[in-house]
Amino acid sequence: MSTTWTIAKREFRSYFDSPVAYVVICLGLAALGLLFFNYRGGFWDANRASLEQMFIQVPRGLSWLVVPVITMRLIAEEKHSGTLELLITLPVRDSEVIFGKFLGAWGLVLVFIAATGLYPILMFGWPWDLGSLDTGPVLSGYLGLALFSAAAVSIGLLISSLTESQVIAFFVTFLVLFMLHIVGSGMTLDMLPPRVEYVVTFISFETRIAGFLRGAIHARDILFFLTVTAGCLTGSFWALERRKWA
Amino acid sequence: MTSDVMIEAQGLTKRYGAFRALDRVSFQVKKGEVVGFLGPNGAGKSTTMRILTCYQSATAGSATVHGHDVFDEPLEVRSKIGYLPQRAQMYGEMGVLEYLRFVADIRKINVTLFNKRIRNIVEVCGLGTVLGKDLRQLSHGYRQRVGLAQALIHDPPILVLDEPTEGLDPNEKTEVLEYIKQIGRDRTVILSTHNLAEVEEACSRAIIVSKGRVVADGSIDEVRARGGRVRYHVSIDEKNALAGKSAPAVGDVERALATLDGITSAKETPTDDRAHAFSLLGTRSTDLRADIYRLCVERGWVLLEMRRDIQRLEDVFKALTKSDELADRLRAPAAASVADEDEDADDEGDDANADDDDANDEGDADDEGDADDKGDGDAAGANGKEADEDDDDDEGADAPADKSKGKG
Repeated sequence: MSTTWTIAKREFRSYFDSPVAYVVICLGLAALGLLFFNYRGGFWDANRASLEQMFIQVPRGLSWLVVPVITMRLIAEEKHSGTLELLITLPVRDSEVIFGKFLGAWGLVLVFIAATGLYPILMFGWPWDLGSLDTGPVLSGYLGLALFSAAAVSIGLLISSLTESQVIAFFVTFLVLFMLHIVGSGMTLDMLPPRVEYVVTFISFETRIAGFLRGAIHARDILFFLTVTAGCLTGSFWALERRKWA
Repeated sequence: MTSDVMIEAQGLTKRYGAFRALDRVSFQVKKGEVVGFLGPNGAGKSTTMRILTCYQSATAGSATVHGHDVFDEPLEVRSKIGYLPQRAQMYGEMGVLEYLRFVADIRKINVTLFNKRIRNIVEVCGLGTVLGKDLRQLSHGYRQRVGLAQALIHDPPILVLDEPTEGLDPNEKTEVLEYIKQIGRDRTVILSTHNLAEVEEACSRAIIVSKGRVVADGSIDEVRARGGRVRYHVSIDEKNALAGKSAPAVGDVERALATLDGITSAKETPTDDRAHAFSLLGTRSTDLRADIYRLCVERGWVLLEMRRDIQRLEDVFKALTKSDELADRLRAPAAASVADEDEDADDEGDDANADDDDANDEGDADDEGDADDKGDGDAAGANGKEADEDDDDDEGADAPADKSKGKG
């Protein structure tokens, strides 16, 4: 476990050695601010003490910007630059490398998610008190975001471990996560036959996370995200092992 | 298996699709040996190292390091090995000390021990001035030193160094080799390279691989002896002679030397001095220096210089790996860029067949002798000069001498 932790720590810190972490977090928060107050009338028009808008926008921001940028380098860069060989020939298990990298990247995403905590605190705590906030959905929403981001990061990690190119990793991750959001939106559902619609609803990130945002925590949603995470981590592990036989 | 054997490879085979990178490679490395793993580019050196460090798996065969199987116990193997990959890449955004600390953390070295070791390692690797810098700011030479440092941080009994001097300038090369000799005093080191001078300088034993096969394995002297030939360099004053004798004509000298018992060929070599210079080839089993001297005294010639060169490792290396590379070139012209011994192939292309049959055969001294002569004819002067530099090494069995120097 401590090896995993060492790798995770290094990974996490390395984001702050380059401008990537700062740029992504600032850009993400700025975009969130714009959307939160302006998109479809924004917060003020709703005239309710609710952070629903935020919980709808944050997962999209994560999927379409933050997660692809953060995960694209995880394995692809190590393979491309050749640092992987030195890392792997230290006494580490491949699984520890994968899990450490996952934790490092997920940690940064969680920092971003935590930063959005400024909204409820500033708006409904101190200095402003814009009304009494129903804390239940906020807390469950954050739980949902954490689980969702774990799944998204693991998908990014898997894709990063399949290629040597960060650019390819970014676009493929973006595309996959984009699809997983889009398939759940009303627009696509209308065009589909019922059976396919069921499958699509089942895998859609939007429908999976919707429950959390309403304050409803379902075991099946938790299980879904955990399964995706575990599956992708296993896939990444295999992708890393593949070098032995290539 | 005796406990003395630190690395043992048995029938290692590695295929990449249809390409066979390693073909039943077997060797042993004993405790305290510094072994040079030699071969042209693409011979399978790095693949072997990667298998030994459990980065890749062999298609067939097995290997043990410090008694641990590389396939079944990779963590144990890696904890016994300090590994410097070819063109080692480290995280550029990290500081030197930070990186070494990271490696130490993974190797589970606590802070006290780390602080104790790091002082010595910084000194041995000459990192004092760059400790605070980021790795990406360092020159290649310094990065290579950091690579060595990370390989030493856990005080490993075995060091695996893949082309540690690749891409360094001559001064850095000398320094890195010096470090390797230093740290090799009490460790087992396996060092891959295609630079022969390095092996002669730093190693006590050489394993030569070509096209994925081991073509020679033994102490430097044994490997050198595989050619079975010795070269004598003789210079005789062309103006003066001993009292009462006349200055020698070049033809006389050549005839007299060539007919000495045990000399297989005599060739005049160009020289700046006013002397007749000759390069003679003899068999390794006899030492003809006394005979040559006696001949000179008898005829009243003034002997200006005489030197006996055991065949250089380079010659053996070329002879052993050349046929493979030539075969490659004939098959696929595009693959030629892999081989870096172009001049050699041009000089000796005619003898490809002869060498093909007997590249490994010690008995076939004549064929190889011819090949060598040919090469010499073209570049005899250069060869002579090169040999001059090697002189000190070759005079007395140098490899053991090196080792004892190292231990002293």
